[in-house]
Amino acid sequence: MNTHRVNDIVEEFHCNNGFSDLIIDTKKSAVHRKHETSRKEDEDQSRLPALEAAYTNILLHLGEDTHREGLLRTPLRAAKAIQFLTKGYHETIDDILNNAIFDEDHDEMVIVKDIDMFSLCEHHLVPFFGKVHIGYIPNKKVVGLSKLVDIWRIILFLSVQERLTKQIAVGIYEALQPKGVAVVIEAAHMCMVMRGVQKMNSRTVTSAMLGVYLEDLKSREEFLTLSQRTEQKP
Amino acid sequence: TGGVAPPPGPSHSAPPAPGAESGSHRAAASVMESWKEERTRSVEDNEMSLPSLAAAYTTILRGLGEDPQRQGLLKTPWRAATAMQFFTKGYQEKIIDVLNDAIFDEDHDEMVIVKDIDMFSMCEHHLVPIFGRVHIGYLPNKRVLGLSKLARIVEIYSRRLQVQERLTKQIAVAITEALQPTGVGVVIEATHMCMVMRGVQKMNSKTVTSTMLGVFREDPKTRDEFLTLIRS
Repeated sequence: MNTHRVNDIVEEFHCNNGFSDLIIDTKKSAVHRKHETSRKEDEDQSRLPALEAAYTNILLHLGEDTHREGLLRTPLRAAKAIQFLTKGYHETIDDILNNAIFDEDHDEMVIVKDIDMFSLCEHHLVPFFGKVHIGYIPNKKVVGLSKLVDIWRIILFLSVQERLTKQIAVGIYEALQPKGVAVVIEAAHMCMVMRGVQKMNSRTVTSAMLGVYLEDLKSREEFLTLSQRTEQKP
Repeated sequence: TGGVAPPPGPSHSAPPAPGAESGSHRAAASVMESWKEERTRSVEDNEMSLPSLAAAYTTILRGLGEDPQRQGLLKTPWRAATAMQFFTKGYQEKIIDVLNDAIFDEDHDEMVIVKDIDMFSMCEHHLVPIFGRVHIGYLPNKRVLGLSKLARIVEIYSRRLQVQERLTKQIAVAITEALQPTGVGVVIEATHMCMVMRGVQKMNSKTVTSTMLGVFREDPKTRDEFLTLIRS
């Protein structure tokens, strides 16, 4: 009968999948990690309706007309946008750095500067954005440079600039065990620019110095000089 | 009150011709209603809406997987709600209230430009900030406007859920309806956080829109003079 046939197909499907799990034994960690990611995506998907409803409410209570053309799909877009801007909750520094740590007999300062960053202020849910400068002195282990730049992915969550700076520094310190880590963030806070005191040009600068950068004034000075120097444009 | 009678409301972009009434453009009328528009919100509305807005933001915090009880987030729903009300305070204001006292008869018919007006708005598609600068120029026809009123017009329209094209047009039309000048030019150059922070993620791109009305549209020399002066 038809249902019997359908059951057969389902059985077959499950069998094959069960088998494939056993075969790719060597790639188990990658598969496992893939399942981790897709679970987080599923979480995001399942939370979307609640976020959408909240945004529809917000539009209504701001006095807007939620049926006008420009706003029809705004709750969905805004919900997805804020999920993107907080996807740092799903990522850890290990995810970003772990595959690209190399043994290298180098113990001079490495600086990656002018990394564009943005995050959401946890007090007003309004963006702040600017630049991150990261420096570290390796202790026989260096990290792929683009991984330092990729730090921007993990700082997408509700934060306070002071805490963020420290989190980046501590994360790199724990992953690499270097001789020292220095992180400087210079950012413009929209909550100060667009509202409140409304000062267009003010910037907030925070720094975190660990290891030799904390203890040795000269190292710290070298980092600050090199990271603050701007390119001479022709 | 000020003796400026609102002109009959044609809904196309050229300055209103006396007595002209254009019934066929009702779809576009909602954009052009600046002179006659009612406030959609009052200060009392704000107070009454605040608890619901705060509740919506608490839902959002939970929906993002955050803990609304932790110290940094305890009052965030209220702060975010008040901030959002501030970012949309343009709905509480009418052009006529802002402009009425500051229109003066002046025998001046050379270009007047106010440029580099900082502008902050909210993208109506993603509810994410837009910020940039507005440059306004107009050729008076015996009537000039208090200069800061041009900046106030920008504030009223920019502090809303907006689309940059519409914002540019609304500013130009408001000035036209208030002064009946010989021409108006408005240029907006802005950065859209919805493009910088998400989506295509282009840090340095800017969006430029312009609206040219009257002699600014018809006479290339006038337009050139305006565009040159706002660049310098």
